[in-house]
Amino acid sequence: MKFIKNHITFILPLMAVLIGLEFYFVFERTTKNYEEGLKNNYSMLIVAHDKVDIEYLQSLNSHIATIEEVKKDSIVDEISKGLKDSSKASLSKILPHFYNTKLDTYLSMDDISTIKADLEKSNKIKSVETFDNSHNSTYKLFVFLKFIFKIFILFIGIVSFFLIFKQMEVWSLTHKDRMNIMEIFGAPLFLRSAVMYRIAVTDAFFSSIFISLVFVYLKYNWASSSGIEILMRNRELIFEFGDFFKMLGISLAIVITSVYLVVSNMKDER
Amino acid sequence: MSNTSVINASYLNLSYHDESSEIIKDASFAINKGDFVFITGPSGSGKSTLLKALYGKLKPFSGELNVGGLDMNEISNKNLQKLRQNLGIIFQDYKLINEWSVEKNVALPLIIAGYSKDIQHTQAKRLLTHVKLLEHIYKTPLELSGGEQQRVGVARALSKNPFLILADEPTGNLDEYSSNVIWDLMENTCEQLNTTVVVVTHKIPNIFSIPYRHLIIENRGIYEIH
Repeated sequence: MKFIKNHITFILPLMAVLIGLEFYFVFERTTKNYEEGLKNNYSMLIVAHDKVDIEYLQSLNSHIATIEEVKKDSIVDEISKGLKDSSKASLSKILPHFYNTKLDTYLSMDDISTIKADLEKSNKIKSVETFDNSHNSTYKLFVFLKFIFKIFILFIGIVSFFLIFKQMEVWSLTHKDRMNIMEIFGAPLFLRSAVMYRIAVTDAFFSSIFISLVFVYLKYNWASSSGIEILMRNRELIFEFGDFFKMLGISLAIVITSVYLVVSNMKDER
Repeated sequence: MSNTSVINASYLNLSYHDESSEIIKDASFAINKGDFVFITGPSGSGKSTLLKALYGKLKPFSGELNVGGLDMNEISNKNLQKLRQNLGIIFQDYKLINEWSVEKNVALPLIIAGYSKDIQHTQAKRLLTHVKLLEHIYKTPLELSGGEQQRVGVARALSKNPFLILADEPTGNLDEYSSNVIWDLMENTCEQLNTTVVVVTHKIPNIFSIPYRHLIIENRGIYEIH
């Protein structure tokens, strides 16, 4: 019972930190994936007096990733029904060139306005349509969700660290007598603190394995039957094998630092 | 310092703060190999402070103090650890590790020195037989009486055959039976193994079968009574 109590009081805050951390990894992967989707679905329309190529547009603004010219024929066909062929040819000559343009990353409306301004400085370009209404509302919602989630993770982190500090105080009290006695009999620091390191490292391993198993379960059992579309679509992003090692590394760093701080506060007062 | 000197103090001053609050002042004495020494004095005279200086818990304020050939003014942490590993220290409040078994407490100096589990077990059994506590080997100290706990403390002090035993009021709170067991054990250790024993106490036991020296702390000085 005492053994369980000794471990559980440190494992719980450590697991809270790791849950926050894993949520952060999952959210980063999901948002990256989502941003990629938004980026791929978003395009600007450039209306140009003369023909332009990708190099030329990239020299105006480096965020331009691809361009695709909209064929004039279909536009002419649409607007010249009933006209003679000669008239169609004249119409085709006076029509400007249209280009669908994609960007290299997902950008804010301010950045998009900058791109528009950069492009419109050119004499070859007549106008740029950014379709900013739909883009802006999606982007703002996205940024808001990202902010709320990061606040939530930060809050979990702060509360967990307070619990860890509390546990460090408990360790100090619990191990102080034993460490002082061992010190009197000439035990070196590593031997005096070995018990604490052993407990802490065991807790770090246990917490990392437990949280990894929870997320593996979520990935393979729960996500596919959850009915939540974004989870079902992005199931692969919920847990990656490397996450275990990241969590283990971070939890080991936390426990080793915690024990070191406790031990260094108990040094010989000679 | 003589060749057989285990402890040598010269104009030793001990203080927790500064010169004005010196507890021991200009004390000079030598304790040789195989000596059994009682240090007595009134409460607050500095007996325990002197003992702390002997095992390196308190650095001399000034003067010289040499224990086991090591200068306690200049001793490094590593040498201090080595020195303490070769001392047997007994405290009035026992200073046992309550979460550990009696066996593990007795074996503490052997654990620190890196002896095998077999040696730890054999030595603990042997010493617990001597202090008549073998049947309590797997108990924790809190399951024992005060006298029994002190006997565990004595067994621990002897477990690595130290060259010097330092005891702070070892029988201060004990019944007659436990006191006699402890004195017998220390007398035998001193006589048979030629171990140096320094005991800080209020009162020298009435019946003591081996020759001993008596140092007294009075008015911050240390004097020998012949």
